[in-house]
Amino acid sequence: MSDGKPYPPRLAIWLLNRVCAGGSEALAGDLVERFREGQTRVWFWRQVLIVLAIGALGKMRRYWPYLSYAAAGSAIPALLWRTVEGVPAALHWWALPWPLSQIAFEGSRSALLALAAVPVLAVGLRISLAFRWVSLFRTAAINLTLLALGHYLLGYLDTVPWLIRPVPGNPHLMRILAMPPPVVEFLFFSLFLVSAWAGCRSARHTRARAR
Amino acid sequence: MAKPIYLAEMEMMVLLAVVRLGEDAYGVPISKELLNLADRDVALGSIYAALDRLERKGFLTSTLGDPTPERGGRAKRYLRVTPAGLRALKTTRTALINLWSGIPQLEGSRA
Repeated sequence: MSDGKPYPPRLAIWLLNRVCAGGSEALAGDLVERFREGQTRVWFWRQVLIVLAIGALGKMRRYWPYLSYAAAGSAIPALLWRTVEGVPAALHWWALPWPLSQIAFEGSRSALLALAAVPVLAVGLRISLAFRWVSLFRTAAINLTLLALGHYLLGYLDTVPWLIRPVPGNPHLMRILAMPPPVVEFLFFSLFLVSAWAGCRSARHTRARAR
Repeated sequence: MAKPIYLAEMEMMVLLAVVRLGEDAYGVPISKELLNLADRDVALGSIYAALDRLERKGFLTSTLGDPTPERGGRAKRYLRVTPAGLRALKTTRTALINLWSGIPQLEGSRA
Protein backbone atom coordinates (compact mmCIF):
# COMPACT_ATOMS: atom_id res chain seq x y z
CA MET A 1 0.00 0.00 0.00
CA SER A 2 1.49 3.34 -0.96
CA ASP A 3 -1.26 5.78 0.14
CA GLY A 4 0.60 6.62 3.39
CA LYS A 5 -2.19 5.30 5.60
CA PRO A 6 -1.57 2.59 8.18
CA TYR A 7 -2.04 -0.89 6.84
CA PRO A 8 -3.39 -3.71 9.01
CA PRO A 9 -1.39 -6.90 9.69
CA ARG A 10 -0.86 -8.69 6.38
CA LEU A 11 -1.01 -12.13 7.96
CA ALA A 12 -4.41 -11.32 9.48
CA ILE A 13 -5.73 -10.15 6.10
CA TRP A 14 -4.34 -13.27 4.43
CA LEU A 15 -6.03 -15.49 7.05
CA LEU A 16 -9.29 -13.62 6.58
CA ASN A 17 -9.20 -14.12 2.82
CA ARG A 18 -8.32 -17.81 3.20
CA VAL A 19 -11.12 -18.59 5.65
CA CYS A 20 -13.91 -16.49 4.14
CA ALA A 21 -13.05 -17.12 0.49
CA GLY A 22 -15.74 -15.55 -1.68
CA GLY A 23 -17.52 -13.66 1.10
CA SER A 24 -14.76 -11.83 2.89
CA GLU A 25 -14.27 -8.74 0.73
CA ALA A 26 -16.86 -6.55 2.44
CA LEU A 27 -15.92 -7.78 5.92
CA ALA A 28 -12.20 -7.25 5.26
CA GLY A 29 -13.01 -3.79 3.89
CA ASP A 30 -15.00 -2.91 7.03
CA LEU A 31 -12.13 -4.06 9.25
CA VAL A 32 -9.62 -2.01 7.25
CA GLU A 33 -11.92 1.03 7.42
CA ARG A 34 -12.23 0.77 11.22
CA PHE A 35 -8.47 0.19 11.54
CA ARG A 36 -7.74 3.35 9.57
CA GLU A 37 -10.16 5.26 11.79
CA GLY A 38 -7.76 4.61 14.67
CA GLN A 39 -8.26 1.04 15.91
CA THR A 40 -5.14 -0.84 17.06
CA ARG A 41 -3.44 -3.89 15.57
CA VAL A 42 -4.52 -5.86 18.65
CA TRP A 43 -8.15 -4.89 17.91
CA PHE A 44 -7.69 -6.00 14.30
CA TRP A 45 -6.25 -9.38 15.30
CA ARG A 46 -9.05 -9.89 17.83
CA GLN A 47 -11.65 -9.22 15.14
CA VAL A 48 -9.99 -11.65 12.71
CA LEU A 49 -9.74 -14.36 15.40
CA ILE A 50 -13.46 -13.93 16.12
CA VAL A 51 -14.19 -14.34 12.39
CA LEU A 52 -12.03 -17.49 12.32
CA ALA A 53 -13.81 -18.90 15.39
CA ILE A 54 -17.25 -18.18 13.92
CA GLY A 55 -16.19 -19.80 10.63
CA ALA A 56 -14.88 -22.90 12.44
CA LEU A 57 -18.07 -23.22 14.49
CA GLY A 58 -20.16 -22.90 11.33
CA LYS A 59 -18.18 -25.70 9.65
CA MET A 60 -18.52 -27.90 12.75
CA ARG A 61 -22.27 -27.36 12.74
CA ARG A 62 -22.44 -28.16 9.05
CA TYR A 63 -20.26 -31.27 9.12
CA TRP A 64 -21.15 -32.63 12.55
CA PRO A 65 -21.90 -36.17 11.21
CA TYR A 66 -18.29 -36.42 9.98
CA LEU A 67 -16.95 -35.15 13.31
CA SER A 68 -19.13 -37.63 15.24
CA TYR A 69 -17.86 -40.44 13.02
CA ALA A 70 -14.24 -39.35 13.54
CA ALA A 71 -14.75 -39.09 17.31
CA ALA A 72 -16.32 -42.55 17.47
CA GLY A 73 -13.66 -44.00 15.17
CA SER A 74 -10.78 -42.62 17.22
CA ALA A 75 -12.39 -43.71 20.50
CA ILE A 76 -12.62 -47.37 19.43
CA PRO A 77 -8.85 -48.05 19.41
CA ALA A 78 -8.48 -46.29 22.76
CA LEU A 79 -11.39 -48.02 24.51
CA LEU A 80 -11.55 -51.43 22.81
CA TRP A 81 -7.94 -52.13 21.85
CA ARG A 82 -7.94 -55.58 23.47
CA THR A 83 -11.04 -56.55 21.46
CA VAL A 84 -9.52 -55.20 18.23
CA GLU A 85 -6.26 -57.03 18.91
CA GLY A 86 -8.08 -60.28 19.54
CA VAL A 87 -9.96 -60.34 16.23
CA PRO A 88 -7.35 -62.33 14.20
CA ALA A 89 -7.17 -64.97 16.93
CA ALA A 90 -10.96 -65.15 17.09
CA LEU A 91 -10.98 -65.84 13.35
CA HIS A 92 -8.46 -68.74 13.84
CA TRP A 93 -6.31 -67.19 11.17
CA TRP A 94 -3.65 -69.90 11.51
CA ALA A 95 -6.17 -72.58 10.47
CA LEU A 96 -7.15 -70.80 7.27
CA PRO A 97 -5.53 -71.53 3.90
CA TRP A 98 -3.21 -68.93 2.42
CA PRO A 99 -3.95 -66.14 1.38
CA LEU A 100 -7.04 -66.05 3.64
CA SER A 101 -4.85 -66.57 6.70
CA GLN A 102 -2.72 -63.56 5.83
CA ILE A 103 -5.78 -61.41 5.05
CA ALA A 104 -7.39 -62.42 8.35
CA PHE A 105 -4.19 -61.73 10.27
CA GLU A 106 -3.22 -58.47 8.56
CA GLY A 107 -6.56 -56.99 7.58
CA SER A 108 -9.17 -58.00 10.13
CA ARG A 109 -8.21 -55.34 12.68
CA SER A 110 -8.29 -52.61 10.05
CA ALA A 111 -11.63 -53.90 8.77
CA LEU A 112 -13.15 -53.89 12.25
CA LEU A 113 -11.92 -50.35 12.89
CA ALA A 114 -13.21 -49.18 9.51
CA LEU A 115 -16.66 -50.69 9.99
CA ALA A 116 -17.27 -50.20 13.72
CA ALA A 117 -17.92 -46.45 13.51
CA VAL A 118 -19.99 -46.55 10.31
CA PRO A 119 -23.34 -46.77 12.20
CA VAL A 120 -22.52 -43.42 13.85
CA LEU A 121 -22.01 -41.85 10.42
CA ALA A 122 -25.21 -43.46 9.13
CA VAL A 123 -27.26 -42.00 12.01
CA GLY A 124 -25.66 -38.56 11.55
CA LEU A 125 -26.31 -38.51 7.81
CA ARG A 126 -29.88 -39.71 8.38
CA ILE A 127 -30.56 -36.91 10.90
CA SER A 128 -29.03 -34.28 8.60
CA LEU A 129 -31.07 -35.64 5.64
CA ALA A 130 -27.96 -36.53 3.65
CA PHE A 131 -28.06 -40.31 3.97
CA ARG A 132 -26.87 -42.37 0.99
CA TRP A 133 -25.72 -45.97 1.06
CA VAL A 134 -22.96 -45.20 -1.43
CA SER A 135 -21.53 -42.59 0.97
CA LEU A 136 -21.28 -45.20 3.73
CA PHE A 137 -19.67 -47.83 1.49
CA ARG A 138 -17.21 -45.34 0.06
CA THR A 139 -16.28 -43.95 3.47
CA ALA A 140 -15.69 -47.46 4.84
CA ALA A 141 -13.63 -48.40 1.77
CA ILE A 142 -11.46 -45.28 1.97
CA ASN A 143 -11.03 -45.77 5.69
CA LEU A 144 -10.07 -49.41 5.28
CA THR A 145 -7.54 -48.48 2.59
CA LEU A 146 -5.95 -45.78 4.76
CA LEU A 147 -5.85 -48.01 7.84
CA ALA A 148 -4.34 -50.90 5.88
CA LEU A 149 -1.80 -48.51 4.35
CA GLY A 150 -0.89 -47.25 7.83
CA HIS A 151 -0.60 -50.82 9.09
CA TYR A 152 1.87 -51.73 6.33
CA LEU A 153 3.84 -48.53 6.78
CA LEU A 154 4.25 -49.39 10.47
CA GLY A 155 6.08 -52.50 9.34
CA TYR A 156 8.82 -50.32 7.90
CA LEU A 157 9.41 -48.46 11.18
CA ASP A 158 12.30 -50.80 11.96
CA THR A 159 14.32 -48.62 9.60
CA VAL A 160 13.73 -45.55 11.82
CA PRO A 161 14.93 -46.64 15.30
CA TRP A 162 14.11 -43.39 17.11
CA LEU A 163 10.41 -43.86 16.33
CA ILE A 164 10.08 -47.29 17.97
CA ARG A 165 10.45 -48.82 21.41
CA PRO A 166 9.73 -52.21 22.96
CA VAL A 167 6.33 -52.91 24.48
CA PRO A 168 6.83 -54.03 28.08
CA GLY A 169 5.11 -57.28 29.03
CA ASN A 170 3.84 -58.15 25.56
CA PRO A 171 5.97 -60.67 23.65
CA HIS A 172 3.78 -60.45 20.54
CA LEU A 173 3.83 -56.68 20.18
CA MET A 174 7.54 -56.02 20.16
CA ARG A 175 7.44 -52.40 19.10
CA ILE A 176 5.03 -49.48 18.92
CA LEU A 177 5.34 -45.92 17.73
CA ALA A 178 7.13 -43.73 20.24
CA MET A 179 4.33 -41.20 20.16
CA PRO A 180 2.26 -39.96 23.11
CA PRO A 181 -1.35 -41.28 23.16
CA PRO A 182 -2.93 -37.88 22.30
CA VAL A 183 -0.90 -37.78 19.06
CA VAL A 184 -2.06 -41.30 18.15
CA GLU A 185 -5.66 -40.28 18.91
CA PHE A 186 -5.28 -37.20 16.73
CA LEU A 187 -3.93 -39.31 13.85
CA PHE A 188 -6.87 -41.72 14.10
CA PHE A 189 -9.32 -38.78 14.32
CA SER A 190 -7.80 -37.14 11.23
CA LEU A 191 -7.87 -40.41 9.30
CA PHE A 192 -11.56 -41.00 10.03
CA LEU A 193 -12.41 -37.37 9.27
CA VAL A 194 -10.64 -37.46 5.91
CA SER A 195 -12.41 -40.73 5.06
CA ALA A 196 -15.85 -39.27 5.81
CA TRP A 197 -15.01 -36.06 3.96
CA ALA A 198 -13.92 -37.90 0.85
CA GLY A 199 -16.54 -40.65 1.12
CA CYS A 200 -19.53 -38.31 1.38
CA ARG A 201 -18.22 -35.90 -1.25
CA SER A 202 -20.72 -36.52 -4.05
CA ALA A 203 -23.70 -36.39 -1.64
CA ARG A 204 -22.47 -33.01 -0.48
CA HIS A 205 -22.20 -31.74 -4.05
CA THR A 206 -25.65 -33.07 -4.94
CA ARG A 207 -27.15 -31.16 -2.03
CA ALA A 208 -25.24 -27.99 -3.00
CA ARG A 209 -26.56 -28.23 -6.55
CA ALA A 210 -30.12 -28.80 -5.31
CA ARG A 211 -30.06 -25.55 -3.28
CA MET B 1 -52.10 -19.62 8.89
CA ALA B 2 -48.41 -18.91 8.39
CA LYS B 3 -46.18 -19.64 11.37
CA PRO B 4 -45.03 -16.35 12.92
CA ILE B 5 -41.27 -15.84 12.85
CA TYR B 6 -39.54 -14.30 15.84
CA LEU B 7 -36.07 -12.85 15.84
CA ALA B 8 -33.19 -13.64 18.17
CA GLU B 9 -31.81 -10.70 20.14
CA MET B 10 -28.76 -10.12 17.93
CA GLU B 11 -30.81 -10.50 14.74
CA MET B 12 -33.38 -8.04 16.04
CA MET B 13 -30.77 -5.43 16.98
CA VAL B 14 -28.92 -5.75 13.67
CA LEU B 15 -32.16 -5.57 11.69
CA LEU B 16 -33.25 -2.47 13.63
CA ALA B 17 -29.88 -0.84 12.96
CA VAL B 18 -30.27 -1.56 9.24
CA VAL B 19 -33.75 0.02 9.24
CA ARG B 20 -32.47 3.10 11.12
CA LEU B 21 -29.51 3.59 8.77
CA GLY B 22 -31.56 3.33 5.57
CA GLU B 23 -29.43 3.76 2.44
CA ASP B 24 -26.12 3.86 4.37
CA ALA B 25 -26.48 0.49 6.07
CA TYR B 26 -23.26 -1.53 5.88
CA GLY B 27 -20.99 -3.21 8.44
CA VAL B 28 -19.17 -0.23 9.98
CA PRO B 29 -22.21 2.05 10.59
CA ILE B 30 -24.19 -0.91 11.91
CA SER B 31 -21.48 -1.67 14.49
CA LYS B 32 -21.35 2.01 15.50
CA GLU B 33 -25.13 2.17 15.79
CA LEU B 34 -25.13 -0.84 18.11
CA LEU B 35 -22.36 0.73 20.21
CA ASN B 36 -23.93 4.19 20.43
CA LEU B 37 -27.59 3.25 20.89
CA ALA B 38 -27.49 -0.19 22.54
CA ASP B 39 -24.10 0.09 24.29
CA ARG B 40 -23.02 -3.16 22.64
CA ASP B 41 -19.48 -3.48 21.31
CA VAL B 42 -20.22 -6.28 18.84
CA ALA B 43 -17.43 -7.79 16.71
CA LEU B 44 -17.85 -7.23 12.98
CA GLY B 45 -17.61 -11.00 12.45
CA SER B 46 -20.65 -11.51 14.68
CA ILE B 47 -22.55 -8.78 12.83
CA TYR B 48 -21.78 -10.43 9.49
CA ALA B 49 -22.86 -13.83 10.84
CA ALA B 50 -26.20 -12.28 11.86
CA LEU B 51 -26.51 -10.51 8.49
CA ASP B 52 -25.92 -13.80 6.65
CA ARG B 53 -28.62 -15.53 8.71
CA LEU B 54 -31.08 -12.69 8.11
CA GLU B 55 -30.38 -12.72 4.38
CA ARG B 56 -30.89 -16.50 4.24
CA LYS B 57 -34.25 -16.06 6.00
CA GLY B 58 -35.25 -13.44 3.44
CA PHE B 59 -35.34 -10.52 5.90
CA LEU B 60 -32.53 -8.63 4.16
CA THR B 61 -31.09 -8.13 0.71
CA SER B 62 -27.54 -7.02 0.03
CA THR B 63 -25.69 -5.35 -2.83
CA LEU B 64 -21.98 -4.66 -3.26
CA GLY B 65 -20.90 -1.05 -3.78
CA ASP B 66 -17.84 0.19 -5.61
CA PRO B 67 -14.35 -0.52 -4.20
CA THR B 68 -12.86 2.45 -2.35
CA PRO B 69 -9.18 3.25 -1.59
CA GLU B 70 -9.76 3.89 2.16
CA ARG B 71 -10.95 0.30 2.45
CA GLY B 72 -7.90 -1.10 0.66
CA GLY B 73 -9.81 -1.34 -2.62
CA ARG B 74 -12.63 -3.39 -1.15
CA ALA B 75 -16.34 -2.89 -1.76
CA LYS B 76 -19.01 -2.17 0.84
CA ARG B 77 -21.89 -4.59 1.33
CA TYR B 78 -25.04 -2.47 1.52
CA LEU B 79 -28.05 -3.96 3.27
CA ARG B 80 -31.74 -3.30 2.85
CA VAL B 81 -34.66 -4.66 4.87
CA THR B 82 -37.33 -6.59 2.97
CA PRO B 83 -41.09 -6.44 3.73
CA ALA B 84 -40.71 -9.87 5.38
CA GLY B 85 -38.00 -8.39 7.61
CA LEU B 86 -40.27 -5.52 8.66
CA ARG B 87 -43.06 -7.99 9.44
CA ALA B 88 -40.66 -10.08 11.55
CA LEU B 89 -39.65 -6.93 13.50
CA LYS B 90 -43.29 -6.00 14.17
CA THR B 91 -44.13 -9.56 15.25
CA THR B 92 -41.16 -9.65 17.61
CA ARG B 93 -42.03 -6.22 19.04
CA THR B 94 -45.62 -7.28 19.72
CA ALA B 95 -44.43 -10.45 21.46
CA LEU B 96 -41.94 -8.52 23.60
CA ILE B 97 -44.50 -5.83 24.55
CA ASN B 98 -46.97 -8.54 25.58
CA LEU B 99 -44.31 -10.22 27.70
CA TRP B 100 -43.20 -6.96 29.36
CA SER B 101 -46.68 -5.71 30.19
CA GLY B 102 -48.45 -6.57 33.43
CA ILE B 103 -45.34 -7.23 35.53
CA PRO B 104 -45.75 -5.16 38.75
CA GLN B 105 -42.08 -5.48 39.71
CA LEU B 106 -41.05 -3.74 36.49
CA GLU B 107 -43.72 -1.02 36.47
CA GLY B 108 -42.40 2.56 36.45
CA SER B 109 -38.71 1.62 36.29
CA ARG B 110 -36.51 2.32 33.31
CA ALA B 111 -32.97 1.22 32.72
